[in-house]
Amino acid sequence: MAAVIEIDGLTRRYGDVTAVEDVSFHVGGGRILGLLGRNGAGKTTTLRMLLGLTRPTAGRAMVFGRPYADLPRAAHRIGVSMDGIGPLSAATGRADLRIWAQTLGLSRSRVEEVLERVGLADDAHRKLRGYSTGMRQRHALATALLADPELLVLDEPANGLDPDGIRWLRELLRSLADEGRTVLLSSHLLAEVAQTADDIVILQGTLRYSGTVADLTQEGAVSLESRFFTLAGPSAIRHAHA
Amino acid sequence: MPDLLRAEWRKIWTGRTWWYLATAGVLLSVIGDAGYLKQALDKPVATRPSSAELTSTLVQGWFVIELVAALVAMLAVTREFGSGAICRSALLSGGRGRLLTAKLLTAAGSGAVFAVAAGAGGAISPWVFLPGHGYHPQWTATTTWTLLGVMLVVVSGALWGSLLGMVIRHQAGAVVTLLLSTWLVSGGLQRLVPSVGRFTIDEAMSSVCRGGTSGVLSIPWALVVLAAWIVATGVAARTLFLRRDLP
Repeated sequence: MAAVIEIDGLTRRYGDVTAVEDVSFHVGGGRILGLLGRNGAGKTTTLRMLLGLTRPTAGRAMVFGRPYADLPRAAHRIGVSMDGIGPLSAATGRADLRIWAQTLGLSRSRVEEVLERVGLADDAHRKLRGYSTGMRQRHALATALLADPELLVLDEPANGLDPDGIRWLRELLRSLADEGRTVLLSSHLLAEVAQTADDIVILQGTLRYSGTVADLTQEGAVSLESRFFTLAGPSAIRHAHA
Repeated sequence: MPDLLRAEWRKIWTGRTWWYLATAGVLLSVIGDAGYLKQALDKPVATRPSSAELTSTLVQGWFVIELVAALVAMLAVTREFGSGAICRSALLSGGRGRLLTAKLLTAAGSGAVFAVAAGAGGAISPWVFLPGHGYHPQWTATTTWTLLGVMLVVVSGALWGSLLGMVIRHQAGAVVTLLLSTWLVSGGLQRLVPSVGRFTIDEAMSSVCRGGTSGVLSIPWALVVLAAWIVATGVAARTLFLRRDLP
């Protein structure tokens, strides 16, 4: 199957600091890819470059064969839930989703459908600023699902979810992949990704691994956690305290 | 584009901020008019302004709504930058250029709503304040120009506020810049370097609102200066919005 996402030599520098350097990987259709790395490893920067929110210093990022900005109906084909992309906090959950649905030219009934799907229908009349972290995550997922996209780009979607929420998220992502959708999932929850993803990319400023979970864990003979720490290298914090 | 415009329109009026600012604007206009009338009545009869002058000045008092329109449009933009919602807007709107256009059109639209409100308030105020003080409203051509000037300036103010928000992005920074430019910079420059101070956007707005009387600039020149400020800030906002990373 053709690659849905192609990242080629992607680099981003902020002055003397290199956030991401020469990262290349691709994501096939209908797969769940887990993008792993420590905080500051460049996961969010990579996703932002993929979506055209941050300009790469070098390299290119393509979705469905084109840069996001040049992709026709990109907003209908790609759903995004990212750390740092908040809702309109003065609005209620339902009003916020209606605004984004209107931006996409979707009906109000679609808002009710996604609210039901993420389990927020009973709370959608409340102001977003009163939502818990877990509810905000569900709301962000609802926004990402609005256009019924072929590709979902999710940055740390499990943050703030309770155990029930995490299980719900896992089942949701699996059902989306079973429907033929592609999911790019950034996370630092290794155990969770191990249960959810088909493929893994490990970033630590540079690319440390890109391939299937099965290959990485030698068909389950080695834990993902053990392989992650081997590939990602020692923590800078541990070095600082040593 | 129509869907995007409707969505941007809803964003501006989401929340209660605009309501608080509009209430404050009406109160300031009413207090300003009442204060001006009191000052005029305290003068000796021989030096009191005429009914026509009083009528035009009471209409002009609704110029304050310009600040409300600017703040409402500015806050609609900067709160999106603050929450990160601007990224979602850019992702869903079909491109940053389209989004900027939609934001400016809806800002101008919100300015038009405030302009109609200011026009109505300004047109009514002479009939509210003057009777009972020995005056009758006397509507002249100058009053009409003043009213039209106030309404135009309110629309321009909304555009100005939106553009400042796009350039500065940070809510507190943008609000402080707007208030400082309104209350300190143009007045200070006008006193220190009058030849420069009269070309500030606030002096241009002020001149447009005076119906061609006692303005620092004539109305045509004031309109040119006002347009130049809007166009220059628009070019800066467009360049920065299209090129800079979104937060």
